[in-house]
Order: sequence, then C-alpha cells, then structure tokens
Amino acid sequence: MAVFVDAGTTYSKIITINENLSCLVPYFHHEVNEKKYFILPSKIFKSLNLPVTGACGHMGGVCENEIVAMSKGAMNIVDENTTILDLGSRDAKWIKFKNKKFADMDWNTSCASSTGATVEMLLKFYDIKSDDLKFIDEKYIINCGIFGLEKIMDDIASGTKASVAVSKFIHGIAYNAWNFAKRPTKLYLSGGFCNNNCFVESLTKYCEVVLLGQFILCEGLINE
Amino acid sequence: MSLSVDKKYIAFWGYPDPKIMSEVKSEYRDSEWLDLDIDYGVPDLNILPDVSCKIIKNLVNNAFYYKDNIIKIIAAIGKEKCDSGWYVAHLLKQFGFDVIETKYEQLVERKPIVYSISDLPLIDKVNLIMNSIAEPEKVECSYVKPKFGFWGVPPNDIDILKLFPKETHIYGWIRCCEAGVPADLDLEMFVDEDVPTVFYSQAFCSKGALAKYLANKYSGLYIDIDDYSTNSVRAKVEAFLRLR
Repeated sequence: MAVFVDAGTTYSKIITINENLSCLVPYFHHEVNEKKYFILPSKIFKSLNLPVTGACGHMGGVCENEIVAMSKGAMNIVDENTTILDLGSRDAKWIKFKNKKFADMDWNTSCASSTGATVEMLLKFYDIKSDDLKFIDEKYIINCGIFGLEKIMDDIASGTKASVAVSKFIHGIAYNAWNFAKRPTKLYLSGGFCNNNCFVESLTKYCEVVLLGQFILCEGLINE
Repeated sequence: MSLSVDKKYIAFWGYPDPKIMSEVKSEYRDSEWLDLDIDYGVPDLNILPDVSCKIIKNLVNNAFYYKDNIIKIIAAIGKEKCDSGWYVAHLLKQFGFDVIETKYEQLVERKPIVYSISDLPLIDKVNLIMNSIAEPEKVECSYVKPKFGFWGVPPNDIDILKLFPKETHIYGWIRCCEAGVPADLDLEMFVDEDVPTVFYSQAFCSKGALAKYLANKYSGLYIDIDDYSTNSVRAKVEAFLRLR
C-alpha cells in the first residue's frame, strides 16, 4: 500500500497503490490496475494530512527533486531521443533524452508570470471559460508575462474580444515554452497545460506534440 | 577568515602580480591579507548600480567597510580580472584609497595542477587555490578520477560547491589560478569532454559568454547566480548531478 503525491502550487496529483482512502473519492480521476489517480486542490490536500510514501513539489524537506521525478516518470514512455516539457501553474521545466539517457535540462521556477496561474487568473478576471479559448494564429510576443497582460488590456480596450486576446497570450506562452525547450521538432508535454486545447494547438504550430497528462512526476516517484 | 577591525590589512582582488604582492608584504610585515572579492556580509553602500556583478560590489563595499584598516589595495586590472576591476580601481582612487594597479597576463610560467584534480571536497579545493594567491598553502591530497566538473570562478555563494562530490575536477579561471596563469584564455576554455560539467558564471559577469558557449558545446549545465543561490538553481545542480 502506498501514496505518492506531486504537490503542485495549485493542484496536487496523487497516485495510490492498493490503497482505499475515502477522503480522496471526490477527486478520483481514473484507475489502471491497482493504481488509482486523483487530482485535488493543493490546499485541500494539505488539510487532509495523508501519510505519504513519496512526494515532490511543495511538501517541505521530504521531497524528491522534480526534474529527477520527471525524468524517471517519462523515461520508459517516450522516444529514445526526445524532449519532455512540464508546464504547470508556477514553473516550467524540460529535460532531454539522448539514446534513452538524460542529456540536458532547464528549469524556470522563479516566475509564474507566463504559466498556468496567470492564465487561470485571466480566465476569472475576464469571466472566460477555458473552452472559449481557440487557437489563433496571431500571438503576443511576451518576453515577460506581466508585459503580456498590458497587451491583453490594450487589445481589449481597442475592441478585441477578451477570449481572443487571452488566446493570443496563450499562443505567446506556447511559443516561449517551445523556445525555452530549445525548439525541438517533437515535444512531450506534461502538466496542467495538457488540458488547455488552445495551448496545445498553439504549440502544435511549432512542433509535434504528444500529451503525457498530469501524472508523470508522480509516476516518477513510484519508479524510484 | 575572521576579520578584525584592530588589524591592518593589505587588501587585494583577483590575482595580482605575485612580485608586487611580495614587495608590498615585505614593506608591511605585520599586516594581514584581505581578499576583497569575498562576501563578508558587510552593508551594501549602493555605490555601484544594482545590476552589477556581486563580486565587484564586494570589492567596493569591503573596501569602504574596512577603509580605516586597509593600508593599500593591490588591484588586478588586466586580462586576469576584468574591465570592472579596472574601473573600480580607478573609482577607489577617487575616493582616496591607496591603490596599486597590477596586470598579470603572463602565460609562460605554469605551475602544476594538483588541487583542481584532487580528492579534497570541492569547496576546500577552491578555497585552497584562492587562498594560495596571497599565501601558498600545502595540503596532502591525491588525484581522483573525475565524476563531474566545475568550471568557473569562485561563486559569491561558495556553499553551492557543497552540492558536488569530491570527485569533481575544477576547470576555468580557478584552474588558471592554480596554474599561476590567471589570464590564460586557452587554459580557461579547457575541459575534459567526457566529464559532465557545471559551467558557472557570476551573474552580470562577462565570463557568462564563455560559460554558456562551453555548456552548449560539451552538453553541460550552465548556471549563473547573483548573490545567493535560489532553491531552483540548487535543484537544477542537484538534478544534473543525479541524472548524468
């Protein structure tokens, strides 16, 4: 019996093995054999005080390094030579395998101005649903997400629909993420942005995209 | 190094001409050396712009903090240091410091590399090499086969070096210092191709160009740190060391 958690800034991703925890039932995501997968807000996860077998993310001193967890989680399900990008609520990180071996990496953890948290705030602020966002060929060049917000505001002030402006912003994030990962021809995407169709379609403009979902880091904890 | 306000210091930075260091020291035998490059935690006087190399800020802040105790400053201003060292030497003279400018760009007299490739902890290797600029030290050690490499200058946040195993070889400017040729660009660019290496640059230092180029060329990890390392930089180094 075991509980593994990737405690993100916004959401916690949990895998239990041969474990039945009633408190997690409302957050059930799917199951594969003896593994059950859950996603719940991190603030709720923290309040549950679950006994944890392995963790990464924001769990204090017991955490596995997130790049290491991502590497272990992805190694057996991606091509021998490939790049995996994890783009979440707060940070962006990528690793590259050459001949099935770790070859390169980068990790931007300090600034959330071009990641999921900003997008969620924009959706709330402009009262937009995620499904309203459609891929738009035009993008904002957003060296910094904060300056990107200024472009959204300017665009909306001049009559552009909020959902269109935010879509351009997301396209800009996708372009930045692709550059950040050193412009691969094929990219495995992990993290919350897998659920954002506008982001995925924008990224597809630049490279082939394979979605890995939100549990790769958590799987890497099991593969320890 | 414990500093005392009761002592008199000959201050220096970088790798000044050893002959000049020796001459000044013989003139002030009771004085002690004070390496102004090091972060002693003295207040920032905001004399330099915020976006400046932390080591260069250290030179200025340390100089002012210990002003009453500094007899002279021996300032490296040649290719063995950087333009900022040259400009700061000039500024400190304007502020009334007694500054001797030196250039030590010789490439001929090379000393053997011992500590850079030794089995000492990385932080001890770096401290030993840098302390030896003023007062050569001898420590027993053996060659160790490298698992990793560290390329660069002594970080302001020296504790980052504690992340590395003792099987870490030193490359870059620190190795040049051990060899007694701090301006030897060829030696500075040398790394062992097969050794996974972290290429370190102090933020806002022009050596960052070399570090990034070499990291790309040899599939190493490029990092730069301003004053003290963030958790993310430490995590990147940790991941690199565990996965390579």
